[in-house]
Amino acid sequence: MFEKRDEQLISQALKGNRRAWLALIKRYESQIYHYGIRMTGNTHDASDLMQDIFVSVYRSLGNYRGEGSFKGWLFRVAHFRCIEFYRRKRPEQGLDDTPEPECEQDCPETGYFRDQTSANLMQAMQRLPLAQKAVVELKFFGQFTFDEIAEQLGLSANTVKSRLYSALSKLKLELEVENA
Amino acid sequence: MHNPNHEDLLAKWLENSLSESERQEFESLCINDEDFARRVENANAVAMMAEQFEEVPVPSWDRESTFTAPERPRWWQWQGLPMASMAMSALAMVMVVSGFRVDVADGRLSMGFSDAPDQQQIAAMMDQKITDYQQSNQALFTQYVDALNTQQQKNSAELTQYLLSSSRQERREDFAELVKFINEQRSDDQRFYARQINNLQQEISALEAGYSTVPPLVSPNLTDDE
Repeated sequence: MFEKRDEQLISQALKGNRRAWLALIKRYESQIYHYGIRMTGNTHDASDLMQDIFVSVYRSLGNYRGEGSFKGWLFRVAHFRCIEFYRRKRPEQGLDDTPEPECEQDCPETGYFRDQTSANLMQAMQRLPLAQKAVVELKFFGQFTFDEIAEQLGLSANTVKSRLYSALSKLKLELEVENA
Repeated sequence: MHNPNHEDLLAKWLENSLSESERQEFESLCINDEDFARRVENANAVAMMAEQFEEVPVPSWDRESTFTAPERPRWWQWQGLPMASMAMSALAMVMVVSGFRVDVADGRLSMGFSDAPDQQQIAAMMDQKITDYQQSNQALFTQYVDALNTQQQKNSAELTQYLLSSSRQERREDFAELVKFINEQRSDDQRFYARQINNLQQEISALEAGYSTVPPLVSPNLTDDE
């Protein structure tokens, strides 16, 4: 059975078709939820962020002009909602600041991962500044190109490359620690 | 250490877009630059870990809450309604000015811009006029015949009355003549008889006075002359 294209679902959702909108959510909720887990570090915040992202996406759905993929536009909205989420939660922390560890030992929120490698990677990502974490997330998990990431984050491609380069340096240390 | 060239090489390697010369430079850096090599190794590890990242099921959440059905505008709030009404007004004005007309007759719908009637209408109008003319003629003729009959009856009555009255007058005059004649005859008879009586009286008187000394004056033969 043929699946409807994103643009068709968006058009129908804009006309008030609830089923089309729910189909669009179903298509992307897993990616957004895992994006939320990796960006926030826990499932509760990821659930809140996911709902926040989809509410925001629905409200600004009319602004999507079909230029570029819907997935890219969706993750752009997700990134801005994530920044807002962090600003509400940690208003004193900058986007480029390295977050303070919330617990000395393994965060119990990683318990839902049966795979230790996934848990280690997620914990390592939580120690990255938000700006670098977003680049790592979009590059390695979102599979976006640097130009696409630059467009989504509103940065130059060189800045994105620089942030990833720095993030890989920090992740290297964290992964070494995790693997030790 | 911030090195744009290294960042660019790493980025191109991640996107698999290194040229041959860049690939040689990249491999050289991996061999000679330990920091760069660790980043590449780390990027490779993260990429592999990302591919094997464990998927966790999405918890049940209220997806419906993200949807708010847009308010459908009522039909009278339709944006095109003023334009449509203006267009209809303009169309009506054009139809009036151009003499547009729609006729429905005998199950036939005809539209046109001319006020002049078509052939069928002309024929129908002619038929109608002829029928009217015939009816008016018929009525006039009937009226004329009635009047003629009335006049005829009146004339006959007058003639009859005249004839009756004139014959009655004649008879009256005839009778009057007859009566007059009879009266005259009677009067003559009376005078005759009076004279006869007088003569008779004289004779009687003469007879009484003297008898035949005096001859009678009137002989009885004379009465015939009277």
